[in-house]
Amino acid sequence: MSSAITSVKTSVKTLAATVPAARWRWLAVAALLAAACYAPFQLAPFHVFQLTMVLVYAVALLGLDLLVGHAGQISLGHGAFFAVGAYATAIMLDRLALPYPLTLPLAAGTAFVLGLAFGVPAVRLRGLYLALVTLAVAIFLGPLLKRFEAVTGGSMGLTLAKPQPPAWSGLAEDQWLYLLTLVVAVAAFLVAGSLLRSRAGRALHAVRDDEVAAEVMGVRLSSYKTLAFAWSAMFAGVAGCLYTWVIGFVSPDSFTVNLSITLLAGLVVGGLGSMSGPVLGALFVMFVPGIAQDINDAAPGVIFGLLIIAVMYVAPTGLAGLAGRLVKKVPRKE
Amino acid sequence: MTLIVEDLVAGYGDARVLHGVRLTVGDGEICAILGPNGAGKTTLLRALSGMVKVRGRIALDGAELAGRPPDALARQGVAHVPEGRGTFMPLTVEENLRLGAYVRRDRASVEEDLERVHTYFPVLRTRLKQAAGSLSGGEQQMLAIGRALMLRPRLLLLDEPSLGLAPLVTRELFRIVQAVNAEERTTVVVVEQNAHLALGIAQQAHVLETGRIVLSGTAERIRADEQVAQSYLGYRV
Repeated sequence: MSSAITSVKTSVKTLAATVPAARWRWLAVAALLAAACYAPFQLAPFHVFQLTMVLVYAVALLGLDLLVGHAGQISLGHGAFFAVGAYATAIMLDRLALPYPLTLPLAAGTAFVLGLAFGVPAVRLRGLYLALVTLAVAIFLGPLLKRFEAVTGGSMGLTLAKPQPPAWSGLAEDQWLYLLTLVVAVAAFLVAGSLLRSRAGRALHAVRDDEVAAEVMGVRLSSYKTLAFAWSAMFAGVAGCLYTWVIGFVSPDSFTVNLSITLLAGLVVGGLGSMSGPVLGALFVMFVPGIAQDINDAAPGVIFGLLIIAVMYVAPTGLAGLAGRLVKKVPRKE
Repeated sequence: MTLIVEDLVAGYGDARVLHGVRLTVGDGEICAILGPNGAGKTTLLRALSGMVKVRGRIALDGAELAGRPPDALARQGVAHVPEGRGTFMPLTVEENLRLGAYVRRDRASVEEDLERVHTYFPVLRTRLKQAAGSLSGGEQQMLAIGRALMLRPRLLLLDEPSLGLAPLVTRELFRIVQAVNAEERTTVVVVEQNAHLALGIAQQAHVLETGRIVLSGTAERIRADEQVAQSYLGYRV
């Protein structure tokens, strides 16, 4: 019996040694994608909905990570860009009656332009000062949305028809929404990944790590600081658009300051500056509040807070960093 | 590339640091800037790479550089190795080097230059995929100079390359700077506390004190003029 275990262990080790680390990563991603495609056909509609929301948050966190993890800036108001994407989509669907596939690029574009505008103060402000300005944006957005009732529906919000699956697909609504979101999310990760590997991505990292050195090499700081904001806002806008598709309802109360704080907390818990961080953070944001509720019905917020503290204590570089450390423990060579 | 600096005034906000600096560095020469702490040596280099606001004239082979932003100067071939190296710690050695060629569009020759940097600094070749932050101080300084060479500089500015390095490493570094200068004919301005080493590779030197050049001459003359050097530098050369 023990010899059988040993032989299995040896064969796992030889397998691990023969396959290079990069290929392991691709295998893991492929397996995850396969599971993601299979999931909606196995799970109850509510769980499919939950997974859809994980993907929505993952795209939002991916955008926030471009700004915080890769560009080294901070935003306490990223929920505002999420809300802009969500509201832009809702207004286009409700007031302009545009077909829903069109709303995605338009919502992304709207958020990009607004991000560019808010990136301008980011050139001059840093750290706490920038945090304060972005927080102010998140705070004033709610009242602003309530003020322009004719367009935004005021505090009642807007209720919309969700995108319906085409008849030929034979899919249920929740499955269709999930698959739509999955396609957009995968595309978002591919775009962000290639952006970060490009010359622009290297410049972004250079600005984050040493502004002086980046500048003397010819990287224009102001352009990259504003662009980081714009890219980041664009992904948040895409996430907001997906949100409106999936939920079919927007109101000022859906996008409070709390959302911005939750996004930032989710990203830090997930891990900064990696591709897996936003996904892990999204899982945390989606499922841990429910777990906290189960543990103590009276004070779920307290439990959620304690869980965040616990994770940061065990994994100071986020869940992605923790996962990376565990993977490294797997022996690669005999 | 001949560098001509005339009546250069520079500072930070209201605080003026340089009060009318004038110097000329001949094509392919190494020029050492010496002087005590706070004399304005780093500010002079920052002025030459567009990092601080300046008045006066900075001309590189006739092209006026004063008042232009750092990225424009990088495109003109001014490479600045900042004090403290400016290593991008989490990035790999290769990414650091490629960032040095950020303003260049000629991809094929960038690959050639990567190879050339490896021949000057063989240690970097063995560390290409390693995080730059894991390099030793000396290796990081080599990386910083290698990264500057990736720009194909016409003017190379070195700020305190010996800072925090062991004497043996520093000597090796200066030997390589000399080799680069000899082979590429790159004009070099080096700011250095270690006057002995800097005068060893420079053709000419200037002593800066409270924002003014108080002594100029060939490296030999400055080295020979012990009494003057001692009074201005505060130590024996």
